[in-house]
Amino acid sequence: MSEIKKTACHFCHMNCGMLATVENGVVTKVAGDPEHPFNAGAQCPRGASALDHLTHPNRINYPLKRVGERGSGQFKRVAWGEALDDIAARLAALKAEYGAETIATTGGTNRTDDFARRRFFNLLGSPNVVHTAPVCWIPNFLTEAASYGWAAFDPEIMGAKCVVVWGHNPGASYLPEMRGLLQAKANGTKIIVIDPVYSETAAKADLWLPIRPGSDNALALAWLHVIINEGLCDYQFIDDWTVGFEELSDRVEEYTPDWAAEKTGISPELIMESARIYALSKPACIQWGVATDQLGRGSSASAQARVALRIICGNLDVPGGDVMPGPHPTFITDWELELNDMLPAEQRAKQLGSDRFKLNSWPGYQLLTDNMLRVWGKSIPAEWFCEANPSTVFRAMATGDPYPVKACIVLANNPLVSYANSKLVYKALKNLELLVAMEYWMTPSAMLADYVLPAASWLERPVMTTTYGVSDWLIASEKAIEPMFERRTDTEFWRELGLRLGQAEYWPWETDEEVFKYRLDPLGLELESYEEFVQCYRMHFAEREYQKYQTKGVATPSGKIELKISIFEQLGYDPLPHYVEPPFSHEARPELAAQYPLSLVAGGGFMPFFHSEHREMTRIRLLRPYPRVAINPALAQQLAIKEGDWLWIETPTGKVKQTAFITAAVAPDVVQAERGWWFPEKEVKDPELMGVFESNINVCVDDDPDTCDELCGSFCSRGIMCRISKVEGND
Amino acid sequence: MPDFESGGERLMHWGMLIDLKKCVGCHACTIACQNEHNLPFAMKYCKVAKVGPVGEYPNITAYNITTGCMHCADAPCVDGCPTGASRHRADGIVTVDPDKCVGCLFCMVVCPYGVRQLNEENGIVEKCTMCFNRLDEGLVTRCVETCQLQARSVGDLDDPDSELVKQIRKHNAQPLYSYLGTKPSIYYIMP
Repeated sequence: MSEIKKTACHFCHMNCGMLATVENGVVTKVAGDPEHPFNAGAQCPRGASALDHLTHPNRINYPLKRVGERGSGQFKRVAWGEALDDIAARLAALKAEYGAETIATTGGTNRTDDFARRRFFNLLGSPNVVHTAPVCWIPNFLTEAASYGWAAFDPEIMGAKCVVVWGHNPGASYLPEMRGLLQAKANGTKIIVIDPVYSETAAKADLWLPIRPGSDNALALAWLHVIINEGLCDYQFIDDWTVGFEELSDRVEEYTPDWAAEKTGISPELIMESARIYALSKPACIQWGVATDQLGRGSSASAQARVALRIICGNLDVPGGDVMPGPHPTFITDWELELNDMLPAEQRAKQLGSDRFKLNSWPGYQLLTDNMLRVWGKSIPAEWFCEANPSTVFRAMATGDPYPVKACIVLANNPLVSYANSKLVYKALKNLELLVAMEYWMTPSAMLADYVLPAASWLERPVMTTTYGVSDWLIASEKAIEPMFERRTDTEFWRELGLRLGQAEYWPWETDEEVFKYRLDPLGLELESYEEFVQCYRMHFAEREYQKYQTKGVATPSGKIELKISIFEQLGYDPLPHYVEPPFSHEARPELAAQYPLSLVAGGGFMPFFHSEHREMTRIRLLRPYPRVAINPALAQQLAIKEGDWLWIETPTGKVKQTAFITAAVAPDVVQAERGWWFPEKEVKDPELMGVFESNINVCVDDDPDTCDELCGSFCSRGIMCRISKVEGND
Repeated sequence: MPDFESGGERLMHWGMLIDLKKCVGCHACTIACQNEHNLPFAMKYCKVAKVGPVGEYPNITAYNITTGCMHCADAPCVDGCPTGASRHRADGIVTVDPDKCVGCLFCMVVCPYGVRQLNEENGIVEKCTMCFNRLDEGLVTRCVETCQLQARSVGDLDDPDSELVKQIRKHNAQPLYSYLGTKPSIYYIMP
């Protein structure tokens, strides 16, 4: 018997719709769903590899318990029940001895149903939930939320006259978004790309600003200067809806194009021209890009300046501008599932890093939530937006300071590769009394675990997409088949663990489908089952409403859109856009300039890979067998480097090697290294750990809290001083 | 079943248009094609080449070009195949009959586009089939289906009113290296 199942790809958080052909319980074919609004029937190379992933011989298929030394690679298969019983007992004992905050969890980019993680941790009593959130979207989102009460993350590219793609390369990451950009361009929309690298997206742009790595903040401030001084603002909108314009105008007076040209490497003329194009194209939108979340100190300040740009130009929440969704009015959101009220105030106060990085931890989250409840009736989820600081948590694991962190549950994450300062992360994980990893594969981080648990992949699980719990739409998909072997979903895992720790009354649903049906019930569709929703509706979009500030108000303390952000002021931060020098630049560390003459971009990606994923999949790996560092031909000539040579990349923090990719896409004094590298084919055991310290650029990235973003604790991976040299002999 | 016989009344001529203004070189066509045809890992009917960046930073340009069999109307591989394995279907698609191919590699020598490869697993020379089995079923080729940028399309080159021909005319699309004179059926919108 053959049937078609409406599934969703989970290899990135676009969650494109897929049609899986299932014959007698076996998936025989996966193709794009032509009726899906994101991908319109297409697949990227990751999605096209779904069957390779589903049946790969190296997948973890059964729970494994470590039997040898930590990292020795000796595991034995155990039953799920046995594993969960033991994990629960050990967590309970650690909680009794050190307090619930001794148990932490880390996650990667949104690939799981993380309301379940947060629900479990809130009920457990630990605030120490960690993601890669500070370096991905959260500084931008929360700065926007503080300024106008939610994030305007839904740019209406198709109606825009100008789209600014800032520190983002959808041509190699979000292909559906790239398709939209190209369609808009064909309709006459001007595309401005800001990127130190001549990326796939830059190559398609009308205007490319070749910015010096890490100097985005300076460019945004100069744009503000130009637009305000040349009188290109939307004054009616500013008068009616904003506060702080006078102070902003005074503040940006010093940030002239000449001042910014020196920092950004972009000529004053080009800064002025691009600022005018943006300001005079109405409506226009600024797309979110990950790069500006990764500036370390100044990530949020950079977001703050861009937020002001879209406000003073009147592009906020208008057709063709930066549309702000707000929460869906009826379906049960992630925030509603999290049970944040169950976490006592004294436990909230123990959240690691919250005394310092206040915007994306409990102090800031509480202020934002108070305002959001007033206007929207719902808040953003604590997951992603209210987290312990990764750098602080890993330090606590390694040192016991300020208090011991003895256990960690790693789910959808490979921390040795995903966070800065990999050797510190290693020390931290090695020092744990209990490390649990739920995974598709044996990764370097999983190799250090006490338990490795088998995760169901997307053909084996339903997927409900709500964009990190902050969109006013949802798109639902069913599983194609029951999980193979003993793979399970993360919701099942958290629930099962919760049941063993006395949380039974809060886990009434036995399956993912039951949870999802519960979330859908308020829509009033009188559904028999979750699957019925997928078959009949598949998605639900709240009715689009623009300029919601007019009808709903603004979720800020003043009830206005704040150019001078009072929540920042309340938290002790500068409420106005301002310049913060990049933490590892020659400007900040002149004494190191001679030794480390180059500027490193440590976030390079290669399309079929997703962060640290897919290295195991031969078909994909053959497209990129080794990591590459992009260097300019002039630099290559100067150092006698040939294409493919192995090169050391060295910063004051560490050194790794990658192969030379000689390209004019980067400036002569800039190198761009690929992220996420480890080698599943190498020696799996500690200390080699699949070569996790050989080419993993995060070894070279520092996460000293003094260099992290003051508001969100983001570490800096853009514009780090470095040097390169040829690897000689058998190094 | 595939029709390996040429001749008969020509009803149409399958062609393809690839828009290099849209292609970002994501490799989805390569991988999807490998899966569709169950190819060995190292074999690619559809290849992606990254061209450039050309010039000096920051005054540079770059594009990507994807190539498979050009399904030439005057195909040296068909003319030169000693066993008659390489043939034209009535609809212009160049096919290789695996029962007739002896792996002599002559077609690989004469193909000016270098798109044919020896499948080490079965000793047969293979290449892009333009997914004729899918086209025969009324589907588009796998590479067209998978392309997120909608940079590829297939259609009838013989029908002046087909969307394919309209787009080719509109954008003055050209085959690659048309001076070689093999009359390819694959057209490119140049960047």
